[in-house]
Amino acid sequence: MTPHLPRAIDQGLANCHVCGKVSPVVLRHCPRCGSALHLRKPASMQRTVALLIAAGALYLPANLLPVMTLSELGDVMASTILQGMAEFWRRQAYPIAIVIFVASIMIPLIKIVALVWLCAAASGKVHSSPRILGRIYGFTELLGRWSMVDIFVVSILVALCQFGAYMTVTPGPGALAFAGVVVLTMFAAMSFDPRLLWDRLESLKAPDPTPPPPDRE
Amino acid sequence: MSDTPPVKSVIPEFRAAQRWNIVWVVPIVAVLIGGWLIYQNLASRGPVAQVSFETADGIAAGKTEVRCRSVRVGRVKELELSEDLNSVWVSIQMDPHTAALLCKGTRFWVVRPRVSGTDISGLGTLLTGAYIELEPGTGPQGTLEFRGLETPPPTNSNVPGRRLVLTADEAGSLVVGSPIFALGVEVGRIESRELNAEGRQVRYRAFIQEKFGPLVRSNTRFWNTSGVDISAGATGIKVRTPSFQAMFAGGASFGIPDGLEPGKPAPDGMVFKLYPDEEGARSSLYNATFKLLLLFDQSVRGLTKGATVEFRGIPMGRVTNISFDYLPLGKDSRIPVLVEIDPSLLRHSLQERVEGQDSKILSEAVAKGLRAALKSENLLMGTLFVDLDYYPEAVAAELTQIGEYPAVPTVSSGLALLETKLTAILDKIQALPMDDAMDKIAKAAEEAATTVAAARGTLDEINATAASARKMLDDPAFRGIPTDLRATLDALQKTVSSIGPDGTIQGDLLRTLDELRGSLRSIKSLSTTLDEKPNSLLFGRESSGNPVPRAPRGKQ
Repeated sequence: MTPHLPRAIDQGLANCHVCGKVSPVVLRHCPRCGSALHLRKPASMQRTVALLIAAGALYLPANLLPVMTLSELGDVMASTILQGMAEFWRRQAYPIAIVIFVASIMIPLIKIVALVWLCAAASGKVHSSPRILGRIYGFTELLGRWSMVDIFVVSILVALCQFGAYMTVTPGPGALAFAGVVVLTMFAAMSFDPRLLWDRLESLKAPDPTPPPPDRE
Repeated sequence: MSDTPPVKSVIPEFRAAQRWNIVWVVPIVAVLIGGWLIYQNLASRGPVAQVSFETADGIAAGKTEVRCRSVRVGRVKELELSEDLNSVWVSIQMDPHTAALLCKGTRFWVVRPRVSGTDISGLGTLLTGAYIELEPGTGPQGTLEFRGLETPPPTNSNVPGRRLVLTADEAGSLVVGSPIFALGVEVGRIESRELNAEGRQVRYRAFIQEKFGPLVRSNTRFWNTSGVDISAGATGIKVRTPSFQAMFAGGASFGIPDGLEPGKPAPDGMVFKLYPDEEGARSSLYNATFKLLLLFDQSVRGLTKGATVEFRGIPMGRVTNISFDYLPLGKDSRIPVLVEIDPSLLRHSLQERVEGQDSKILSEAVAKGLRAALKSENLLMGTLFVDLDYYPEAVAAELTQIGEYPAVPTVSSGLALLETKLTAILDKIQALPMDDAMDKIAKAAEEAATTVAAARGTLDEINATAASARKMLDDPAFRGIPTDLRATLDALQKTVSSIGPDGTIQGDLLRTLDELRGSLRSIKSLSTTLDEKPNSLLFGRESSGNPVPRAPRGKQ
């Protein structure tokens, strides 16, 4: 590891969220762009946890309720994500089934779990190596925009398949919940300040140096 | 690193951050929304009903809907074979708030597309597939297992109206859904058609709408109006067509024959006969519902199925069957004839009022002398009909029960009697010794022939004799005979005249006679003397004391 260097937080320097200029936090506002200055993202842990709880709460209806209702010549067929996946699997379209499973079921779940893990690590409940934590964080950032495959498919179908009585696709309540899950996990990942992880590591690694940063966010 | 004040300045920021953050609204709202969505989804599931069908034809799990009056009330969740593999269990996920539909008596059946002459229904199912129709029952709620119907039931039993049974000998073109008309207005429909194999009849269930129900009376007649009726008569050719619909899909009409009382309103389930045509229905004044067995001790040749049964000329029924099957084997050789009659007419036939069952009325009538007889309907064709009438002089008999039918005693009819008498006469004629007589006649004729032949021979001989006589007459010697005869006659006349009073012979004769008379007198006196005194021949005559008066002496 690199030799111990002083941290910006220790010197009261904050990075402007908007323009990236490093200024003393006492100024409260960025001298360049005028936006508010924070040493860390304000209430990062609270927000992340709250958004994760919200995402978890919507994860159940997202998977239990039909995301799409297909009415074909009066034959109404509503299907949930799992049913759609099972249908593709049954028709031996295994790659599509796997893609749906991964993108729609696995990724939101992995994201939620990863963020929970990161939150736990940041609050000192779990101890993991910074390398792993870094990878996990990078992974959540990476996954963020790929979870919307289902919503994308549904919105395209709804827009295209409007043939009146012959064939009509309408979004189901599950789609709303699913979109909520994806958006909330994205917000949660955004609101999480990874520096908190390193703050925790720093405080563990060097208990002697000058004032330890507050445990709390 | 050396600046401490900035560090201090950090503290209020953290403090502010420790406060309750507005972001917690998000999970609360999310939980509320998610919970509400799940609750709504769970609550939107009604009870699950199990319905068994013989086949799951057209039913698809997850697709087939369950409808009640065309409103969706559920969906088939899954299909599985029953354990005995004889039926299919259909699990139906009912929609919420439909628990009230699942009662005891609720009926399920599969609706498939149906195209018939009368209507086209369930066409939607061509595209959407079949659906299951539910008809709520009226029993207590809570039943979850049902037996599905294989065919759509008749009109919903909740629909008010009159439900009747029509029986016909032949189905004709009447099908399920065929309309029923009254005065040409559609008032009902045929709901079901079934073949009654035992009775060899077609039974229809008919539904008459509630408001037209009172039109159906106990004396109402139903007839088939299907097809086109063409009749040719003195006035020309008449073509009668029912409505376009009835022409293709068949139909039935009903009405009351002229001159017949409407009778009481018909109750539900009443059985009516469906006549093949209007004429038959109009002319039938009876409503035959009561079956009787008649045992005839004579030939039933000429009696056909459908022959009328009359009471003193009023048709009151018809012959339904002629078969030995109605009699136990080997007991009786009479001909059983099954007839059906209208008991209400029989009721009218009784002089006094008898209340009660039809059979009681019948036995009363039989006690009064009701008998059945076969009579000739058409002498030329030899057709017969059954005549019911009262024969007060008939041998007393009573109603008997043979098998399941009451049997009315029979009498031999007038014609049959005549026939038997004629037969008897013919038999007698036949029994006469005709052959013998003929033989004799033949013999006599033969004899006559020989006699004639003999006579002819005699005649020939006579002819020959005559010829020889003529020859003899022609003989000149024979010709001389008349002159000889005349000479002889002359001589004879001379002789006779000599014998006559003027003849000499007569005088001589008279004298001779006188002398003879005197001689006789003397002989007489001699015989007297001899009588009185036989010895006088020897001793002479002696005069007696008493003079005997003597007759004066004649001239001598």
